[in-house]
Amino acid sequence: MASQSYELELFPNCKVTLALFDGVENCQDLKRCIMEGKVDAALLNVSMIIEPFQVLVSANKAFHVQQHGKMKTRNINSEILFNLSPTNNISESFKRFGVSNEDKSLLAVVLNDSNGEKLQRLTEQVEGTRIDMNQLKDFTDEAKIKKVYKIQDTELTNSTLLDAVICRMATKDAS
Amino acid sequence: MEPDGAPTSSVGQTCDVGELIKQGAEARVYSTTFMGRPTIVKERFKKKYRHPTLDKKLTHRRTTREVTAILRCRKSGICTPTVYFVDYESHRIYMENIENSTTVRDYIASEQKETQETNPETLVSLAQKIGTLLATMHDNDVIHGDLTTSNMLLRQPVDSSSPVVLIDFGLSSVSGLHEDKGVDLYVLERAFLSTHPNTENIFEHILVTYRKKSKKSSDVLKKLDEVRMRGRKRSMIG
Repeated sequence: MASQSYELELFPNCKVTLALFDGVENCQDLKRCIMEGKVDAALLNVSMIIEPFQVLVSANKAFHVQQHGKMKTRNINSEILFNLSPTNNISESFKRFGVSNEDKSLLAVVLNDSNGEKLQRLTEQVEGTRIDMNQLKDFTDEAKIKKVYKIQDTELTNSTLLDAVICRMATKDAS
Repeated sequence: MEPDGAPTSSVGQTCDVGELIKQGAEARVYSTTFMGRPTIVKERFKKKYRHPTLDKKLTHRRTTREVTAILRCRKSGICTPTVYFVDYESHRIYMENIENSTTVRDYIASEQKETQETNPETLVSLAQKIGTLLATMHDNDVIHGDLTTSNMLLRQPVDSSSPVVLIDFGLSSVSGLHEDKGVDLYVLERAFLSTHPNTENIFEHILVTYRKKSKKSSDVLKKLDEVRMRGRKRSMIG
């Protein structure tokens, strides 16, 4: 499927749409547009994403903190980037989980796009091709993920990489 | 949202959080799904008898302690449920529901019944797994706080490679004190021996493995001896 939409059980009126782009030529421009508030989406570094569930966990938390007025970043899209990070350093989370200038692919997260308009607009902004979400795993860089999330092989003897990542994302605020 | 700590639903009933499956002194446990994954929601409810500010602080602290302990154990290779989301507003922890599992408590009972032995080989190997798990946990300074065989799960089908999954970190803390670790073991000993008759040998295997695998075991086990001497109807002499 070219894009996938999900509904969150805890936020039944909120929709999360994921779309994967490859052959992207204008990441540098897109980054600038984000800063200028012209992009209504979170653009993620695909290599750091294992599965859509990881993004949904982040989006879920983003909706939750937004509802309670406790966002740490400027808007809900940047909050999604921040929630993916294992640390509380905001700029680090943007650098690690957002797109970089040289990136040729990206994972877009569009929120509450009931009629597909937002995704349509985004597709026009991105100079690249939308590809099937099933290809997401081809971009995942496990070694980098282990390094950024500081996951040792000891933990992986009894756990999947995804669970190790999710647990860190979920327990970041404690301690 | 429940107005106060009083339970308004009974076990088996479904409300907006999910289906209530357990009601404890401190928290309610619900079963639901999170993004399609079977999930447990542990909700610590308000204690009306406490001053509200204090209650909020304590509940928050207990919640953070619980998830910190889970992550700490995970990092050292211990099997625990995955935490998906922590709602600090309503003090709910959404975590993986370990389905198709049996508690160690039920497993011990069934193994003894099936083999008609008190020390079947399977239980000796289980004891070694538990001993190793506790050694790892204590070497990472995690005190579980409520070690019982009901808080240890085995995913089915159970075989020699199935790891023990540790759950319910509601009373856990981080401590390097031998005393705290000794007490942790004592809690398990009392729970173990009272729940499972004629299992002194099995429990001994747990301690033997613990001694072997833990780096600070001798001090902890010494404390365990001391703790055993305390308590009701025990002489403090000697």
